[in-house]
Amino acid sequence: MNQMSWPPLVPPPPLSPVPPPMPVAFSGRRGEFFDLVKRGAGLEFVTLGFYRFWLLTDIRRHLWANTLVDGDAAEYTGRGKELLIGFLVALAILLPVYLGYFLVGLEAEHIQAFASIPLVAFFYVFGQFAIYRARRYRLTRTVWRGVRFWMTGSGWAYAARATMWGLLSAVTLGLALPWRTAALERYKMRHTFYGDLQGSFVGRGWEFFKRGWWLWLLTPIALYVFPLAPFIYGAFKAIEWRWWLSGIRFGSVRVESSLTRSALIGLYWKVIGWIVVLGLVFSAYLALSAALVASMSGDSFGEFFKSQEFMKSIPLLVLAGIGYLVFALAMNIVIRVYLLRDLWVRVLGSVNVSGIETAANVSARGGMASALGEGFADGLDVGGF
Amino acid sequence: MAMDSDIQIPANLSSGGSAAYFDGTSSRRRMVTLRLADRLEIDEGEQTLAAWAYSDVRRADSPAGVLRLSCLTAPALARLEVRDTGLAGELVLHCTSIDDHMIGRRGVAAIVGWSIAAAASIVAVVLFGLPLIADRLTPLVPEAFERRLGEAADSQVKTMFDARVCDNPAGQKAFDKLVTAIRESAGLDTSVQSGVLSSPVPNAFALPGGKVYLFNGLLAKAENADEIAGVLAHELGHLKHRDSMRGLIHNGGTSFLIGLLFGDITGSSALIFGSRTLVTSSHSREAETNADSFAIDVMHRLGRPAKPTGELLLRVTGKEGKGLSIVSTHPLSEDRLARMSRQDPPASGPPLLSAEEWKALKSICSANI
Repeated sequence: MNQMSWPPLVPPPPLSPVPPPMPVAFSGRRGEFFDLVKRGAGLEFVTLGFYRFWLLTDIRRHLWANTLVDGDAAEYTGRGKELLIGFLVALAILLPVYLGYFLVGLEAEHIQAFASIPLVAFFYVFGQFAIYRARRYRLTRTVWRGVRFWMTGSGWAYAARATMWGLLSAVTLGLALPWRTAALERYKMRHTFYGDLQGSFVGRGWEFFKRGWWLWLLTPIALYVFPLAPFIYGAFKAIEWRWWLSGIRFGSVRVESSLTRSALIGLYWKVIGWIVVLGLVFSAYLALSAALVASMSGDSFGEFFKSQEFMKSIPLLVLAGIGYLVFALAMNIVIRVYLLRDLWVRVLGSVNVSGIETAANVSARGGMASALGEGFADGLDVGGF
Repeated sequence: MAMDSDIQIPANLSSGGSAAYFDGTSSRRRMVTLRLADRLEIDEGEQTLAAWAYSDVRRADSPAGVLRLSCLTAPALARLEVRDTGLAGELVLHCTSIDDHMIGRRGVAAIVGWSIAAAASIVAVVLFGLPLIADRLTPLVPEAFERRLGEAADSQVKTMFDARVCDNPAGQKAFDKLVTAIRESAGLDTSVQSGVLSSPVPNAFALPGGKVYLFNGLLAKAENADEIAGVLAHELGHLKHRDSMRGLIHNGGTSFLIGLLFGDITGSSALIFGSRTLVTSSHSREAETNADSFAIDVMHRLGRPAKPTGELLLRVTGKEGKGLSIVSTHPLSEDRLARMSRQDPPASGPPLLSAEEWKALKSICSANI
């Protein structure tokens, strides 16, 4: 035993060539995140939604900073002000685009009634472009061990692929969806880098299909049997997450996920439960404010609700608007806690990373992308999170 | 710069300690010792990797239990990670500007203040600016463009209501006579087009570019020609004031600005719709009142009473209740009737249509040829 405390003179025989896979840890407390989104929702209410840029940034900062890979936490370096500027610039660009859309639509209507409807497709393509550029923004603000992630590739090339595959998925009633996701992920990951380490995606559409085809068969039933839907959707998302994560590569760094099919179903049910509760509270509030306004208007109740006044009463509309705003913000809190934070933690808990030692000495490369993509995504309502 | 290379490992924590360092050019994790001299020195073995001025050191996001630092004058992504709470506390004491870049209470107050100012300005533009802009802009819109707009809306309306134009000759003749009389009294030229559409909806409307449509459903509810004449005069009033063009500008601007405000709050489109309805319906009520005044004038110039039109409206809304009829954005029918009956002189002019013509108009949709 004594010899062992001295450094051996000959280099030790190499240990097992592949070190054991490394789990990914999450260190954030749930209460902290809840406080963050609660306070954010309050500020969103006061600022009529303008605070969203800073709230979104704080949420990402919390999630990133508490995600530890190989013992080192990631970092999100984006800022709310960037998102605000991106949004304003995107608006300035979108305004003439909307006007042009309106004029072209007018000409189309001139030729044939409702001929302008297919023009909506333009916004679908534009939305896909925005999704790609928004991902680029988020990625270039993601830092691990002092080196940022970055992205090349063209947003329009991606939008073209997404649209063609989207069309195919629509024609095949969703059967082509796994191959669509695989093709788009391949494009995204091929153009993703961590320093000088290039990413790739090895997931195959066929594998995704093999794991999830039975969900496709069940979907028509879920359209009639509502309680089945969360089970199907939850299982689908779990399969998708697992398949997606297991396909991610950076050089020889491999990601593996063991997420079970049922891992996310509970989360969706919790959200549904909260929506029901909040919906009931909102209805009660509406009934109460209607009664209050009716009693103040002096008319008898029946008369008030029978006449048109009921729909036109300004105080009632204002009360309903405020109530609705609070209701929407409360829903946001629920969705952010369960479907953002809890889902993040559950998915991370299933992840193992192997070959991480090749990321131990990666040279920094790549610059920052502007937040314009996020602005477009916000303006077109296609934003991720 | 103090370069005491004789001290390799600090004797106690008060002068330094160990940390992890990433230099921002590679992902290599270096175990370093920190020396808290007149600057923060980051040493790896004998070598000093970097020296950060305390006033340039900033806090970066980190998980609980780790102090992560960056430096304004170092590479942007260079990071120093300290796990030792004693050392971390000491560093925080030394780096006086460590939290200067964070959005503190004051920063949040600034965001809230500016947001409220922005919201107030948007609301002011919606309430006061847009009506003004719509008024000023409408006369500048070329007639040809407005006509194009009307043609697009025309084919949509016909498809939506699944309506065809009723034109049985006797009825059409009576309708033309009625429209011509009102049009001349209203001072509009012959570019005005009009027609009766076969739809059970009791409604009438004017499209941009000079098109007036009367639905058969309204005709069925009418009891005499004066009732219909007033409705047509009302719609011609909209044409004369170019209300649909003004409404379009006003509506589009309002949706856009309110959309700016609420952005991405889930389901906010309902909120946008609600607020817009609130704003634009008050605007359209004003336009309706003006069109009513116009109709009253036209009827009086023809020597006919305006009151029957008010009675027709009340008859329609009374039966319709709060359905999706054109009246929802209009003033209350009772008030409209009251306005139309006020100072209504007895009929001094000849009837606009003979009893026979009125009968023909009523059945304009019933039988062809």
